[in-house]
Amino acid sequence: MARLNDDAQWIILMGFLVSFSLFFLALIINQSTVVGQTTAESVIEFPKDDIRDICHVIQEDAGNNGGYGDRVYLDIVNLSLQRKDAIVNFSLSTISTRGSTTDARNYSMIHYNNGVTIYNENWTSY
Amino acid sequence: MNERGQLYTIEGVAAGLIMLLTAYMIVGATTVYTPGDAHISDMQLEVLGSDALTMMDTPANSTVAESPLRQMIENDSYGGGQFKSMFMNYTNASGYGPVHNIQFSANYSYVNYPVDNSIQTGWINSSRSLTGGEHAVRVTKWVIVYKQLPGDTKIENRAVLVEVLLWRD
Repeated sequence: MARLNDDAQWIILMGFLVSFSLFFLALIINQSTVVGQTTAESVIEFPKDDIRDICHVIQEDAGNNGGYGDRVYLDIVNLSLQRKDAIVNFSLSTISTRGSTTDARNYSMIHYNNGVTIYNENWTSY
Repeated sequence: MNERGQLYTIEGVAAGLIMLLTAYMIVGATTVYTPGDAHISDMQLEVLGSDALTMMDTPANSTVAESPLRQMIENDSYGGGQFKSMFMNYTNASGYGPVHNIQFSANYSYVNYPVDNSIQTGWINSSRSLTGGEHAVRVTKWVIVYKQLPGDTKIENRAVLVEVLLWRD
């Protein structure tokens, strides 16, 4: 190039590289939809009270000598699905012997799934 | 004509164009802006309602086997008014001193057994009727009642779901 000063071509090349990479980063941001989730929203979404409540009612049912497949069981499964959007299942049984001694304990496996949170509990009364 | 520094001029114009394009794309990105305090009042209302229902589902002392909430559903003849006064007291919507402007609408759901296993609703009470414009949160509580629910053929243990809509006005 006539009378053109072509020193420092590397610096110019680097400048272009940096600006092109910025351009592609902007392209990625442009193609994504940015949404925010607040901390309080996460607290609302996590069904802490629902899980505690379902475990409480199942333990109460165990105290009432309820069992797997009885009316209370069917009510809980049915209502959970239709009014709480949660799949709930649990077994309820009594362990009558433990080794050689007679020892009545209620035993339950509780499963909870509302599509976002899955919770399993293995509960034995003492 | 002095032609020195042409490459710098070209570089400057190119860089300027790229920066403009970059800014345009970032501004044009779809952004849903969520203020950080958007859901705090909902969360507080839900926690308050859950706590109130838990308190109502706790027997008053060790000699009473049934919780107040259970008694209210088992005897719905007088349950409504009792539910209202107790719930509004616990959520501080009534009583002495400064009160919250919390309103509620409560009912309970049960399975229509053995008719068709559909979900039916029993009315409890409300502090105001719903208009549809409320920004409400829902809190629920499982209760086992020994009762002959409508449709059932005998008195037996049944699980019902108490559902309360809560809102501020």
